[in-house]
Amino acid sequence: MLGTVSKQLRSHPALIPLFVFIGGGCVMCAAYLARLGICSPEVSWNRNGNPEPWNKLAPTYQYKFYAVNLDYSKLKKEGPDY
Amino acid sequence: MAHPSQLGLQDAASPVMEELLHFHDHALMIVLLISTLVLYIIVSMVSTKLTNKYILDSQEIEIVWTILPAVILILIALPSLRILYLMDEINDPHLTIKAMGHQWYWSYEYTDYEDLGFDSYMVPTQDLVPGQFRLLETDHRMVVPMESPIRVLVSAEDVLHSWAVPALGVKMDAVPGRLNQTAFIVSRPGVFYGQCSEICGANHSFMPIVVEAVPLVHFENWSSLMLEDA
Repeated sequence: MLGTVSKQLRSHPALIPLFVFIGGGCVMCAAYLARLGICSPEVSWNRNGNPEPWNKLAPTYQYKFYAVNLDYSKLKKEGPDY
Repeated sequence: MAHPSQLGLQDAASPVMEELLHFHDHALMIVLLISTLVLYIIVSMVSTKLTNKYILDSQEIEIVWTILPAVILILIALPSLRILYLMDEINDPHLTIKAMGHQWYWSYEYTDYEDLGFDSYMVPTQDLVPGQFRLLETDHRMVVPMESPIRVLVSAEDVLHSWAVPALGVKMDAVPGRLNQTAFIVSRPGVFYGQCSEICGANHSFMPIVVEAVPLVHFENWSSLMLEDA
């Protein structure tokens, strides 16, 4: 199948940018889903070893993908210590 | 506030709204350029006497009109995502106010230091004083200190409402049984108007929001006066 595709690409090079951008989109979707599964504090894969991951967050933990203006290392814990 | 025959967004009164304004200009400029190009192409295609029956395909133009739109979309997406993340950032608020939606008025609670709460009903048209704005004024305004990060917790006591102030770039749905959080900083003193933004019954259009931003000293005087009156 790859042989057919590469033969068609040689005669129709306009398909290459299409593959690049659609492929890029698919990669970004997969990366987002993977990030949700791995980094989301609400996801627990191991019920015995890691039962409540949301309880382990430090106030300086960067849970957002991109920090524009916020310096996470300067955040302090709000609320009482248990 | 909005004025008659206004076409664009209201003047920004908060840093987030400034960012949104600039982004809107950026996106609108791109849209205008593309529309002008398309219109020009349509007119030139329709008004030409040339005919060509033998072109079947062209790889070069296909490459150009794949890459160029993708680049344009990325140029729109990157500032948009930046503003999205900026709007979500925790900003260590100095004051927390609860805005509760009712049918058909808002009530505000300032409970950080003392127990201050009041209702905010629209001023009926027949009771307006010259200089006031029809369907926008309220009997009690939500007064906030300027240049301070404010957190607003929005909820509702009966049906869905939505707390919105366009000049501050803020809109948050008021859902009964749910607490939604939004935050803003008012960059300049002034009075900023908004209206309920979720259909909530007969008087949905008649429960406006008025935010008055004043220097901190004036805010402290106002809250003392309101506590005495209560």
